Amino acid sequence: MVETFDNLMLGFSIALQPQILVYAFAGCIIGTLVGMMPGLGPLAGISILLPATFGLNPIIAIVLLAGVYYGAMYGGSTTSILMRIPGEAASVMTCVDGYEMTKNGRAGPALAIAAIGSFIAGTFGVIGLMLLAPTLAGWALRFGPPEYTALLMMGLFILAYMSGGSMLKTLAMAGFGLALGMIGIDAMSGYTRFSMGIVELGDGVGIVPVAVGLFGISEILITAGQAAGEKVQKPKLRDLIPSREEFRLSAGPIGRGSLLGFLIGIIPGSAHIISSFVSYGIERRLARDPERFGKGAIEGVAGPESANNAAASGAFVPMMALGVPTSPVTAVMIAAIMVHGISPGPLLMSQQPELFWGFVASMYVGNVVLLILNLPMVGLFVNLLRIPYSYLYPGILCFCILGTYSVANSLIDVWIMLIMGGVGYVLRKFRYDLAPVALGLVLAPMLELSLRQSLAMSAGDYGIFLERPIATTMLVLGLVLFLLAIRPLIFKGKDWRSTVGLEEQQN
Amino acid sequence: MKTRLFFAASILALAAFAAPAQETYPSRSITMIVPFPPGGVADLTGRPIAAAMEKVLKQPIAPVNRSGAGGKVGYAAAANSKPDGYTILIALSSVSIFPEVDAIFNLKPAYTLDQLVPIALVSADPTILVVHPSLPAKTAKDFIALAKKQPNEIAFSSSGLYGTLHIAMEMVVQSAGVKLRHVPFAGGGPAITALLGGHVMALSSGPAAAVGHLRSGKLRALASWGDKRLAAMPDLPTWKELGYKNVEFYIWAGLLAPKGTPDEAIKALRNAARTAVGDAEFKRVMTKLETPVNYLDAPEFQKFWDRDAERLVRTVKRVGKVVTAK
Repeated sequence: MVETFDNLMLGFSIALQPQILVYAFAGCIIGTLVGMMPGLGPLAGISILLPATFGLNPIIAIVLLAGVYYGAMYGGSTTSILMRIPGEAASVMTCVDGYEMTKNGRAGPALAIAAIGSFIAGTFGVIGLMLLAPTLAGWALRFGPPEYTALLMMGLFILAYMSGGSMLKTLAMAGFGLALGMIGIDAMSGYTRFSMGIVELGDGVGIVPVAVGLFGISEILITAGQAAGEKVQKPKLRDLIPSREEFRLSAGPIGRGSLLGFLIGIIPGSAHIISSFVSYGIERRLARDPERFGKGAIEGVAGPESANNAAASGAFVPMMALGVPTSPVTAVMIAAIMVHGISPGPLLMSQQPELFWGFVASMYVGNVVLLILNLPMVGLFVNLLRIPYSYLYPGILCFCILGTYSVANSLIDVWIMLIMGGVGYVLRKFRYDLAPVALGLVLAPMLELSLRQSLAMSAGDYGIFLERPIATTMLVLGLVLFLLAIRPLIFKGKDWRSTVGLEEQQN
Repeated sequence: MKTRLFFAASILALAAFAAPAQETYPSRSITMIVPFPPGGVADLTGRPIAAAMEKVLKQPIAPVNRSGAGGKVGYAAAANSKPDGYTILIALSSVSIFPEVDAIFNLKPAYTLDQLVPIALVSADPTILVVHPSLPAKTAKDFIALAKKQPNEIAFSSSGLYGTLHIAMEMVVQSAGVKLRHVPFAGGGPAITALLGGHVMALSSGPAAAVGHLRSGKLRALASWGDKRLAAMPDLPTWKELGYKNVEFYIWAGLLAPKGTPDEAIKALRNAARTAVGDAEFKRVMTKLETPVNYLDAPEFQKFWDRDAERLVRTVKRVGKVVTAK
């Protein structure tokens, strides 16, 4: 403990050097902007910035990139809440209730709670990283393909809790998402599925263009189709601050989201995307009045936003403690320090204490910076809503196209986004819920890969899922959840789902 | 007749005007297609060499990441781009594999190898066999003996089906006549993570990605795919030494251009690459990345590439379609 404290002091002595502080600030600001840009998420942000760090020293490089990563996680919620455009994959769930809050004139509190939740979760994550990294990292490595499969199965079962309205419609949308996820090169046989000769589709359909299209573009289309324009909002100062009731309702979701997000974040791979979905499902299940979800429930913003920020710091645990690039984001970060001749590996923490502790301390600093940066900006952002839609939406459309294109310099992604915008428009007209499409698309490729990897490991024996304690436990838990979810279908009993409305339509 | 003469004369005049403009290659910025995301081997080799070549060519070289489908998107984009000298490609060994895989699945190839011409080889690093410490095999000989004793029991990870790390391991499988379990992952990072967790037992890995784990004892190296021992690991035998003559594999990075690129442009680029590999800053960066520079000029690079492609294509052909049997 004393040692940790000494190390942390060393870290702060580095992180608070003016030169490094400037870069932490710069990173946070760039990240916030990147996160707000529709389609551009943390991965794209740090990838684009990576070459610029080659000339800096390794500590500055990693502090800058971490700032961008964090900032993008914070910034992603802004456009989701204000315009229903997910800035990155993790903000998809925030769109649902965040945007409804905006329509109810509560954009300010939604943004403020998102920022506060992100701050608490981020700080919690850093503390976890600092105290538990070596212990947890070994545990994280035990997550092989079978454990991953079990985790994702649990994610799939949570689909059943995710949305209101007709279970049949929800499952239809989940099926649509899973089917979209089937596009691309089969990892086990090399067959190219449903690519229609387009080389770019070999990797499958990306979640980002689909989410921006389904949620953002469809919203623009729906607004355009209305006889009378949406009324421009004129928020007053009083409306910017969350009420006591909103604070009270958010406390639980923030706490649970932080813990959940951190635990999921540690697991190697891209599972952290599902943390926000899982958190939303849990909050809806725990809420006393789940009918409010989908109509502007603050818990639906607080939980997922905290979860995705905690997951972001959780992802650093295996990266720092083991030196393995466990996710695309950490792979870029590792590249950033490899360029400076620091070879990744489990000795990173002991051989490069300045780097590790400087990084940890800079994350504390970064979280504070982002909170200070974001809270006063709430007022500014909310005032964007004063712009008449006829000026605002064409601009947003341009940014959507720009952002989606710049992720991989791919025009195909732009087309996917536009087509999905049309699909989303039609589906919403028919009162289908779109969040299950996004989750289905995220889960399908990961679940398929890990399931088939597991079977490759065991030479086709399904027993592998019962030989491994972590996997078995999660599967049983998932099964119980699943049975609970389908109970009303079997017993024809009425539960809350039948009384829950879909997202409100404005037609 | 007169009109025709006049016509010819005006074309000549035009050509004369055009000629000086061509001599000043490059007159604007050059795009370097990097078929992988930032931070990968292609990116980390491409950017420093681009920076060093800029100094010679006096024009900016802009690396553009066109990743997707394991590199195929970027390779195809480069092969099908306008051959005017203003688009070049930083390619890895995998460039030779895709056309063959397309052939296996009767797909129209996204590009063919003769659509690309060499400029220079920048680096070539053999992969090394790393195993989980719990595997009883202490040497490469043990490893093969164990694989023979327990056919289809030892699992290895790779960067993906038909990916470079898969094909490298497949060379050993075919040459030694053993059977291993293949568990493909999406990229080299997850492949090494799975090995560290003991979910698979072996991996053919790039030395730079493994060296930190070797030092800490979390992984053990048994053999290298080079034709001579690695300078950084002189105790590590090569498969060739051990008697597997056909096992030779490199993760190489080289500069290519679309076929039909004007000769003077190729000449200027070759010249720039030759100077660039001697650039102090470039050498410094490559040393830090623990990637030895292995420069070859276009003619030698073509020979090297032909031999390498021949080995890879032969291996891929023998792998053929993968049937997931129980």
